[in-house]
Amino acid sequence: MTEASWSTLEGRHCLRVHGAGGGAHLAVWPASALASGTAPPPAAGEVVADGADLCFVPRFEFVEGTVYAVVVDDAPVAELVRHRAPRRATTEVLGIDPAVDQVPRNLLRLYVRFSARMSEGQSSSHLRLVDDAGQTLPYALLVVDDELWDGDRRRLTVLLDPARIKRGLVAHDTLGYPLEVGAAFRVVVDGAFLDATGTPLRGGASRRFEVGPDERRRVDPLAWSLTVPVAGSDQALRVVFDRPLDVALVARCLTVATVATGGHRVEGTGAVAPDGGSWSFVPHRPWGHEVQAIVVDEILEDLAGNSVRRVFDHDLDAGPPSGPSQGGHAVVRFVPAPP
Amino acid sequence: MDDGLQVGTVELGTAGPLALGPGAVVFTADNLAAKVIALAVDAPDRGPAGDGPVDVADLDVRIGALLGCDADDVVIRDLLVQRGSGDVLLSVQRGRGDTGTAVLLRLRRDDASIEEVPLVDVPTASWSLTDAPAIDDERVDARVGLPDEGEEFTYGELTFRLVKEPVRTSTVTDMAYVDGELLVAGLSNEEFASKLRRIAFPFVGAGQDSNLEIFHVSHGKWETAAPIRTFVPYADGASVLAAYTCTPVVHFPMADLGAGSKAVGRTVAELGAVNTPLDMATYRDADGEHLLVANTTHGLLKISCADIDAQTPLTEPREPVGVPREASDLEGIVRLANLDDRHVLVLQRADGHHHLRTVKTESL
Repeated sequence: MTEASWSTLEGRHCLRVHGAGGGAHLAVWPASALASGTAPPPAAGEVVADGADLCFVPRFEFVEGTVYAVVVDDAPVAELVRHRAPRRATTEVLGIDPAVDQVPRNLLRLYVRFSARMSEGQSSSHLRLVDDAGQTLPYALLVVDDELWDGDRRRLTVLLDPARIKRGLVAHDTLGYPLEVGAAFRVVVDGAFLDATGTPLRGGASRRFEVGPDERRRVDPLAWSLTVPVAGSDQALRVVFDRPLDVALVARCLTVATVATGGHRVEGTGAVAPDGGSWSFVPHRPWGHEVQAIVVDEILEDLAGNSVRRVFDHDLDAGPPSGPSQGGHAVVRFVPAPP
Repeated sequence: MDDGLQVGTVELGTAGPLALGPGAVVFTADNLAAKVIALAVDAPDRGPAGDGPVDVADLDVRIGALLGCDADDVVIRDLLVQRGSGDVLLSVQRGRGDTGTAVLLRLRRDDASIEEVPLVDVPTASWSLTDAPAIDDERVDARVGLPDEGEEFTYGELTFRLVKEPVRTSTVTDMAYVDGELLVAGLSNEEFASKLRRIAFPFVGAGQDSNLEIFHVSHGKWETAAPIRTFVPYADGASVLAAYTCTPVVHFPMADLGAGSKAVGRTVAELGAVNTPLDMATYRDADGEHLLVANTTHGLLKISCADIDAQTPLTEPREPVGVPREASDLEGIVRLANLDDRHVLVLQRADGHHHLRTVKTESL
């Protein structure tokens, strides 16, 4: 009698067939493909004789939870489910950014931070915006084939549909903004979002936001308030922004340089507040007395996608579209306070 | 030609878009590693490819069967038709998460069988898409010319030297090769930028990668930047038509896309609300050149290039907007490729599966 079972061969996973005879022809399909009636090709792999057994070693690792059909000499022998290893749900949502209570109506971007690597292709099913009655806000989010993950696949970038935010576009004119001033909403990540091991989250997560007026001003570093450190100290330079900025961009768009030494970077550690409202910078060596500068990459954006260089959608009747930045940067000068 | 490729292993972390390069060169992008990859894919010499249609129902099921997974675990990211063989190359993601694998597949024109394209010991080269050159990148020396870090820029009377931090992840949404350059459109996971990169091929050193921001104007009033979702060169590479994530279809003369400049395109059409552009292709017939736009809401859209050239920038925020276009009854088209002079290959989603179909251009 011919029998099939999960096994290993020289350390590799395989499907082992016993009792088929030496010259038998062994092939394996995902059962769903075989049942489709489309005469699909068999799974790629090699068939190796191991004593009296035949072993199918797949080119690509068996997929957990998938049913495989084992066929010997064109006759079905068995259908076997690839075992799904039980895993405890340990992954969770660490946070939903921006960490603010109120966002502008023309909010462009959200981030969801997870505690572990995640599986892609999940966000359209397991992430949504809902109103206080629990109703999903329809067509609020931009649908993209390729989800926007960071390199670790722990942070997901979620864009609200820019076509509904940009003035003058058909989507904006017909559907209006995804959000409504005064109508709070929640970002909901449900617990079925799978991590990179295919395991659901420990639980769902959500964050509630109030919706305020539009923000349509360029990010202007000269509008920030600075608390300058004392020369000779290693006190933090503190910068309070005039509005919450994109946390991820603040982290890589702000640098401190010493003007007098030809604009070399001051070594130190920057930290952005979770709400994107402020930034502090502690130098590795005490501040000198000379003029320092915060150098701001002009790509720095606020929550509505307005950058140092431009507003998100610029009204051409209101003057030139781009900001006065030079060399791709804006500069805010300061002098450490005398001791 | 010397295409600058060296024999090596192509590491694909994720399946990305495909573009035909010169000769046997095929470009793809690994969005996880933020790089574009060139590799030579030999066209098997099997004699004439034939000119029959390529129609494969349930392509995702067949690919899944070969890869040993259910169709639900197959994402067909892009396709193209190889010169000479007429074979269809497919960029495919198998599975998700830590066990996900990217593969390049060949669907033979003659018998529709599917096989893996080898990625080991093949001529290949890659180009990093992060803004900051790697430490060992020759561009560092070429650009700065000093054993010092970063780049110099001036602000008023001040001079600064700074290292630009790399873009965290730049997802390549579409690519095309035109006359010695690879054009790359992408979507950043942080800034909302509209960047079209022009990367000289063969991939070489300094100054061969320009990165310009492209604006478009809505209704003559609002100037705005947005990521390009898909684009296609036409008029022998003299023009580019790009569709934005926010749905305007915008025309640029290639000559405007110079290094370091800001380009403002001419909006010639809008795809409308709750619609997303997915792919574009061009073809020629007796009436001239035409563009096809696959999108999520309407049937495959056909636009005459002559109408695009004649279209004045959109000023009226009302339907119908822009150039005349015909929506075919071909619904669910997600990807396009030119099969030959008279046929377009489409990847169509219907009944929960993806099917490959050949469409006669005369029927469009």
